[in-house]
Amino acid sequence: MKFIKKYYFELLLILPLALYILGFTIFPILKTILLSFQDKDTGALGFSTYQYLFAKKDFNMAIFNTIAVTLVGLTFQLVVGLFIAMALKYDFKGKGLVRSLVLLPMGVPTLVSGVTLLYIFGTQGYLNELLYRLGIITKPIAWTSGGIKNIFVIAFADSWKVLPVVVLLLLAGLESIPNDVYEASAIDGASKTQTFFYVTLPLLKPSITMTMILRAVDSFRIFELPKILAGRVTPFLATYAYDEYSYNNLNASAAASTILLLIIIIFMVLYFRFVDRGEGVKGAK
Amino acid sequence: MQSKKIISKFFFYLGIILIVLFMTVPVYILFRVSFAVPEDVLTSHPKFLITRFEFKHWEQVFKSGNLWPPLYKSFIVATLTMILALIIAAPASYAISRFDRKIKYAIILTLFFTRMFPNVGIALPISVTFLKWNLMDTNLGLVMAHLIEQLPFIAWILVSTFETIPIDLEEAASIDGAGRIRTLLKIVLPVAAPGLAVAAMFTWLNSWNEFTYALYLSLTTKTLPLQIYYYVLRGGFFQQAAYSTILTIPVLIITFALQRYIRSDYLGGAIKG
Amino acid sequence: MKFKKLVALALSLFVVSGFFAGCAKKEAQQPTTLRVTMGLGEEEWKVMREEIFPAFEQANNCKIEAIQVESGDVVKKLEAMKQAGKMEIDLIAQDNMALAPLVEKGLVEDISEFRSKIPAEIIPSLVTVGEFDGKLYFFPFRPNVEINFYNEAKFNQYGLKPPTNWDELLQVAKTLKEKEGVGKVGIKAVFDGNTTVQLFEFIRQAGGDPLVLNDEGSIKAYTFLKELWPYLSPDSLKADWNTTNRFIAEESMYLAANWPFGVNVIVKDGGKKEIKAYGGFSGPVKASKVLGGDVLGIPVGSPNKELALKFIEYLMSKEVQEKLASKLGWPSARTDAYGQVEDWQKPYFDAINEAMKVAEPRPNLVYWADVDKALNDALKEIVIDGKDVKATLDKYHQKIEEAKQKAGK
Repeated sequence: MKFIKKYYFELLLILPLALYILGFTIFPILKTILLSFQDKDTGALGFSTYQYLFAKKDFNMAIFNTIAVTLVGLTFQLVVGLFIAMALKYDFKGKGLVRSLVLLPMGVPTLVSGVTLLYIFGTQGYLNELLYRLGIITKPIAWTSGGIKNIFVIAFADSWKVLPVVVLLLLAGLESIPNDVYEASAIDGASKTQTFFYVTLPLLKPSITMTMILRAVDSFRIFELPKILAGRVTPFLATYAYDEYSYNNLNASAAASTILLLIIIIFMVLYFRFVDRGEGVKGAK
Repeated sequence: MQSKKIISKFFFYLGIILIVLFMTVPVYILFRVSFAVPEDVLTSHPKFLITRFEFKHWEQVFKSGNLWPPLYKSFIVATLTMILALIIAAPASYAISRFDRKIKYAIILTLFFTRMFPNVGIALPISVTFLKWNLMDTNLGLVMAHLIEQLPFIAWILVSTFETIPIDLEEAASIDGAGRIRTLLKIVLPVAAPGLAVAAMFTWLNSWNEFTYALYLSLTTKTLPLQIYYYVLRGGFFQQAAYSTILTIPVLIITFALQRYIRSDYLGGAIKG
Repeated sequence: MKFKKLVALALSLFVVSGFFAGCAKKEAQQPTTLRVTMGLGEEEWKVMREEIFPAFEQANNCKIEAIQVESGDVVKKLEAMKQAGKMEIDLIAQDNMALAPLVEKGLVEDISEFRSKIPAEIIPSLVTVGEFDGKLYFFPFRPNVEINFYNEAKFNQYGLKPPTNWDELLQVAKTLKEKEGVGKVGIKAVFDGNTTVQLFEFIRQAGGDPLVLNDEGSIKAYTFLKELWPYLSPDSLKADWNTTNRFIAEESMYLAANWPFGVNVIVKDGGKKEIKAYGGFSGPVKASKVLGGDVLGIPVGSPNKELALKFIEYLMSKEVQEKLASKLGWPSARTDAYGQVEDWQKPYFDAINEAMKVAEPRPNLVYWADVDKALNDALKEIVIDGKDVKATLDKYHQKIEEAKQKAGK
C-alpha cells in the first residue's frame, strides 16, 4: 500500500503500457509455451512434443545453425562495428556524408535486404562475378546451398543490415569516455594500441555488453534472411518452427519457439557469468 | 614524419572508402536491377555498371495500380503506430525512469524478455484473437500488432532519454507550485523532445518495414513489404527491385534529414540500468 | 458488421421472394459482394479482372472482391476465420496439391449434392481430384502440369538435345557439369510440396507407387536420383516453383521443370527468348506427370453460397475456359474448349498440352502431410546424407503405413 501511495502517479502512467504488454505479449507467449507441453493427439501435458523434436536430425541441426550464425555474426559485427565507430570518432572531411551512408542499411527492410543480398550471393550473382573477373575463381561458388558457407552468408547478410545500429551503440559508448582519460594515458606514454586495449576497451565494456545482448536476441531469432537466403537444408530454429507450423504441427512449432527462448536465456546467463560478470550492468553509473 | 602521416591518412581514407562501399553497394545493386535491361542482368555474367536504363519496369509499377493502396496503407499504419506508441510509452517511460533502480531494472528486463520470443510464436495466437475482435485486415489491427513489437523498443529509448533529465529540474518546478502533470508537460517534455523525436522516427521506420505480423493479419489489403513479398513469390524479378527501391526511399530521406538528431546515446542506456 | 447486414438482407430477400438466385434480385439496392480468393500472378489477375469478372458481375448484380492469397496461406486464413466463427470468404480457388488439410479440418463444404452442376465436357480425371472418400468437395477449374524448360542456346553450344529418357538426362547433366564446372540441370529439391511433385513423377515413371515407397519402382527412382545428384545444379536445394524461374533466367540452370506460369516470367518479362520448353522425359516404364492446377471450393459458413455456386458454374463454362486458354495459355478443363494463343506462346502451349497427355492426378488422402514428409525426408537422407536406398525407403514405408493406420483407413 505504501508503495502504491508513493508511486501512484507513476503507476498510473505505466498502466496502459503494462496492460498492453500483459494482454498482447505475455499472455500469448504463455499460451504458446503451454501448447508446447501438450501432446499433439491427446492434449495431455507432457514432453512428447520435445521427444519428437529431439529425435529429428533437422531440429538438432537447426539448433547448431542458430548458435553458429549468432556467434559468427556477433563477432563480425563487433569487430567491424568497433572499427567504423572508431573511425567516425575522428574528424575528417566528408564525415557527415560517410555517417549518412553508413546508416543506409538501417532503412532497408530485412526482407528487402535478403532479396538484395540474393542478387549478390546467388550462384550467378555479383560476388561470384566479381571474383571471376578478378581471376580468383573460374567456376561459380554455390554460396547459398547449405553447409558452413551458407551460415557465413547469412551471418554476413544479418551483419550488413544491423551494422548501423551496432555502430551507433558503440559510438555512444566511445563518446561517453571523457577526453581526459585519453590525455592521461598519453601523458603516461601509452601507445595507440595500448590505449585501445587497456583504456578504450575496458571503458567501452558496458556498451559492448549491451550491443551483444541486443544483437544476440535478434540473431537467435533470425527468420526472414534464412527464409530467402537458405533452403531447407540449412534450417534455423525460427524457420524450423515456421516449417512445423506449415505442416500443421502447431505443438512442435510452439516447442521449437520455446527451445529458442531457452537458448537465449542460457546465452544470457552464460554471458553474464563468464564474460561480463556484472560490470556492464553495475559499472555504467 | 610527414610522409608517414600521409601514408596513415591514405590507409585511413582507404578504410573509410571500403566501409562506405560495403554499406552502399547492395543498395546500388538493388537500384541497378530496377533499371536494368533484362539481358544485362539475366545472364550468368551480370554487368556491374549501368550502361543503359530501362524504364519499363518502373512504368509497369506505376501503371499496374498496385502501388498506391499498399503505399497508403504502409504510411497510415506506420504513422498511427508511431503516434500511439508515443502516447502509451512516453508517460510510462518517464515513470519507469523515476523508479528505484531495482524496480526500474526489473521492468526493463521484463520488457526485454518480451523481445526474446520469436514473432511467429506470438503472431499465431494474436491472429486468432484479432479475428474474433473483427480486427483482421484492418489498419487498426495491424497497428495494434505493430505496437506489440514497438512498445518495448520505444520504451527503452525513452527511459534512457528521461534518465538524462535531472530530477532537480522537476523539484524546482514543484517548489514553484506546479502540479505533477503540469511539470511533466511544461518542463520534462520539452527537454525530452529530441529524444522523443528520434524514438518516434525509429518506431515509424520499424513499422514501415514490418513483415511478419502484416503477413498474418492481412487478407485483402497489403502493406508495401507484403507487396514485395508477393513479387518475390511470383518471381517478379524487376518489380521486386523497383518496389524495394520505393520502400527504401522515404527511409533514406528521413535518415538524411534527421541524422544530426540521431544522438547515438539514445539507443543505449536501457540495459545499463 | 455492415457486411453481415448485407448478407442478412440478401438472404431475407431470397426467402421472401422465393426466387432462385441470391443476388439477382434487383430490389437489393446495393449489389452483394462475393469474396473470392485465388493465388495468381499479376498477368493472370489482369485477365481475371478485365475479361472474366465483369460479365458475371453484370449478369448477377453483384460485385466480386477477388483476393490474392497464396495456396499455403489459404488453410491458415480459413482456419482462423472458422475459429472465430466468422467466415468472410465465399469461394476459394485452391491449388489441388493443398486440398487435404482443408478437408481434414472441415474447412470446406461437402458439395456432393451439386455434383450435377459439373458439365459433361469436363475432363473426368479433374473431377476425381476434388473427391475425398467418395464425397465431392471441390469443383474442377484449371488443370495444370509442369513443363521442362531448357536453354536452347546453351544446349546448341554444347551440341545437346533435351533428354527424352533417364539415361539421356544423366548424360546431359554429366556433360554440362563437365563443360561448365558446375551442375546446370536442376530439380526442385527444397524438400517440401515442390519436391513431392517431382518425386511422384520419377517414381511413377519407374512404375512405382509413391504411397508404398519401397516397391521396385520407387527404389529405382531413388537410386537414379542418388546417381544423378552430384551432377545437379547446387541451386536445386533452393529451387521451388518461384525461384526456379529465376535460376533458369539467370542461367544457373539450363534444364529444369516448372509450372507454365514461368513462361510469362522468364520469356515475356525477362526477355529470355532462348528458353524453350518441352513436355519432358519418360522413365524406364512410362512417361508420367503430376496433374496440378486449381480447384474451386466453398468454405464452410460462406455467406453467399448460392451465388458462389453460380460463379463456379460460370467459371466452368466453355466461354470462360476458352478465354483463359486464349489469354493466359492455361490448358482447358473442358474437352470442347480450345484456346487461340498468341504466336510466341504457341510452342509453350504445345509443350503444356503434350505434358497434359501423361498427367496423372495424385491420390487424395487425409494423411497426405505424412506422405509428403516421408517422401521428402527419404530423399534428403538418401541424396544428402548418403544413406542406403532400400533401408531408408523401408523405414519411410513403415512411417506411411503408421499414418495410414492412424487415419483409420
